[in-house]
Amino acid sequence: MLETDKLTKQFKDVIAVDDVSLVLMRGESVGLLGPNGAGKSTAIAMISTLMKPSSGDVRLNGKSVLKKPDDMRRVLGVVPQKIALYEELSAYENLKFFGRLYGLSGNKLEQRIEYVLELVGLADRKKELVKNYSGGMQRRVNLAAAMMHEPEVLIMDEPTVGIDPQSRNHLLETIRKLNRDEGMTVLYTSHYMEEVEKLCDRVYIMDHGKVIAEGTKEELKAILSDQETVLIEFDQNYPELFIKLSEIEGVQHSTIEEQSLKLIIPRGTRMLAALFHEAERYGAQVINVNVQTPTLEDVFLRLTGRKLRD
Amino acid sequence: MGAFLIKDIMLLLRDRSELLILLAMPFLLIAILGFSLRGIFSGDLEALEMDIALVSEENEAQAVASIQNEIEEMGLPPEQAQALTQAAEAASPQTMLVSLFEDESLSELITIERMDRQQAQQSLDEETVDAVITLPEGFTQKSLKNMLFGSKEGSELELLAADLSSPQTDVLDSILNEFVRTVNFEASISRLSGQDSAVEVSGGIETITAREPITSFQYYTIGMAVMFVLFVGSTIAGQANLEQKQMVFDRIRLSNRSPLLYLSSKAIAASAIVTVQLALLFILSALLFQTFAADSWAFWSGIAIISITLAFSVGCLAALMVAITLRLESDAVPAIFSGGVISLMAFVGGSFMPLDGMPEMLRAIGNWTPNGAALSAYFSWLLEPDLGQLTEPLMRIGIVAVVFLLLALALFPRKGGAA
Repeated sequence: MLETDKLTKQFKDVIAVDDVSLVLMRGESVGLLGPNGAGKSTAIAMISTLMKPSSGDVRLNGKSVLKKPDDMRRVLGVVPQKIALYEELSAYENLKFFGRLYGLSGNKLEQRIEYVLELVGLADRKKELVKNYSGGMQRRVNLAAAMMHEPEVLIMDEPTVGIDPQSRNHLLETIRKLNRDEGMTVLYTSHYMEEVEKLCDRVYIMDHGKVIAEGTKEELKAILSDQETVLIEFDQNYPELFIKLSEIEGVQHSTIEEQSLKLIIPRGTRMLAALFHEAERYGAQVINVNVQTPTLEDVFLRLTGRKLRD
Repeated sequence: MGAFLIKDIMLLLRDRSELLILLAMPFLLIAILGFSLRGIFSGDLEALEMDIALVSEENEAQAVASIQNEIEEMGLPPEQAQALTQAAEAASPQTMLVSLFEDESLSELITIERMDRQQAQQSLDEETVDAVITLPEGFTQKSLKNMLFGSKEGSELELLAADLSSPQTDVLDSILNEFVRTVNFEASISRLSGQDSAVEVSGGIETITAREPITSFQYYTIGMAVMFVLFVGSTIAGQANLEQKQMVFDRIRLSNRSPLLYLSSKAIAASAIVTVQLALLFILSALLFQTFAADSWAFWSGIAIISITLAFSVGCLAALMVAITLRLESDAVPAIFSGGVISLMAFVGGSFMPLDGMPEMLRAIGNWTPNGAALSAYFSWLLEPDLGQLTEPLMRIGIVAVVFLLLALALFPRKGGAA
């Protein structure tokens, strides 16, 4: 339905998006995962026809939308990272304004406003000014405004940044409902691995402007199929011990988190004896050892050597 | 378009600080300036009352007789000689000047007393008179020769004032300048037509005082109104900047609405706001300060015509500022405009004080600002409600508006495409 072909954006000497090719099938939920500064927002802006690419193409149903963006815009609902609303107007007034921009009027406009407000759970607070809402409520209205014209494709750019867990869950549930119950195609960008894992069928991983991996969650995790993640929890932080353990033969990546050490090792590696031996030498108490199946976070770590939120 | 307009007006109505700037601030300034400076405007005559000493160092009758003798000796045809002789008697500048000050409208303001030079100087020193007008020896003869024969040798009046910077001196100076200009002008006509100019001269002088003068409240109601409408431009541009920053502008672009519709809606919203702002300021000022005594439809129609033209011009100015703001992606334009440019425009446009004493170039620039041109249109209408008089200032406002609009269209980033 929607595809980009070698999409590139260069700002002077910086290549923000480099040769990115994505495909979104109708009804699919696709994640664009990457750390801050990976080029996700720039890619989204080009796909949304808001920014002209330096090279490459964006196609809707096989037709380029760069010169004639109207068709694309008609089917697209964009939820930007910022709260793109008038803070001095109420949720209802904002939705009415955006609805009228899309040519809605009269009963149809009122019904649509009611529908999207119900969808995001703000029908009973629609008369309040947006500036008086919590961050989470503002984000919900941000989504509602993008839904006013019944779009077929929903593009969301980090829609849960800076909101409370309750609003975040509500928002994620709403998006899942739109995708699964109403067949809406979703492109969801985030640097929260767990959101993408929860919502998306397929994932593109971006770093430094490039797509470095793509596939279903299972396909991506299969990158680490010959590896396993060992999470070791200690009674306190032992910097020297942690470095020593990271240097045990076979350890491919290690991450230190306060009192814990995460090691990625080849599947079947026998390292527990060495682990306890070293721990005893340093007088450290091992609280817990957990062998995990890899997550997308582990995949990203393996591919880039960095964590998503570095 | 309706959606944009309603939204812009709702946003303005909910922004109390902007409302204060657009409505409360000018009204406050009208009250302060109107009350505190009412003395310097000619409508408040008490503050301008003055006593003047007139010193004549010549014998007027003798000077006229001398000119009449010269006419007889010129050997002109009798009819022409008689006409010139009569003109010399009727157009004697000293008599005309005294008549001017004794005229009913000026005599309430100016008391004139004949004195000799020494006595006049003493009175000036003692401040029992505010000014001394001296007609030097040969004044009448030189003036009549200039008037009747086109002699190149001019005559001079001498004005001594106790306080050169006082409003009274300004007024007296303007009266004398107008007198000299009128006498010269009528004399030229007289020479060209060969007719007696006395009647026309006195008619010309009457124009100094024939109109109802502008009061300080009228001056500052109009001055502040034309100044504060300019803030609408920066308000609207500021809104556009916020829309761009918060990506609401992107949402609008995604709705497939023409970018030009957005720009024109900003211009129309600004015009509508300015129209309401002017109406409120004029009506409130009329009700509370009795600024405008005129209650005829004709009078208010003229005010409405000027206001609508000014509103159109400010709408175009707002469009230009929106275009630059969106192009630069910065709030610098509205900030600089409201922080400094408006004050400059108000100064050269005459919102703070009359520009009579200012350099010609400054006045010319002021006349080409929308506020300055509107100010002169309003004053012209107040003094003489004649639509013909409005043509020139309204044309200037219109031309400036079209220039603003063309620039706005040229600079507006047309991101209708994928750009």
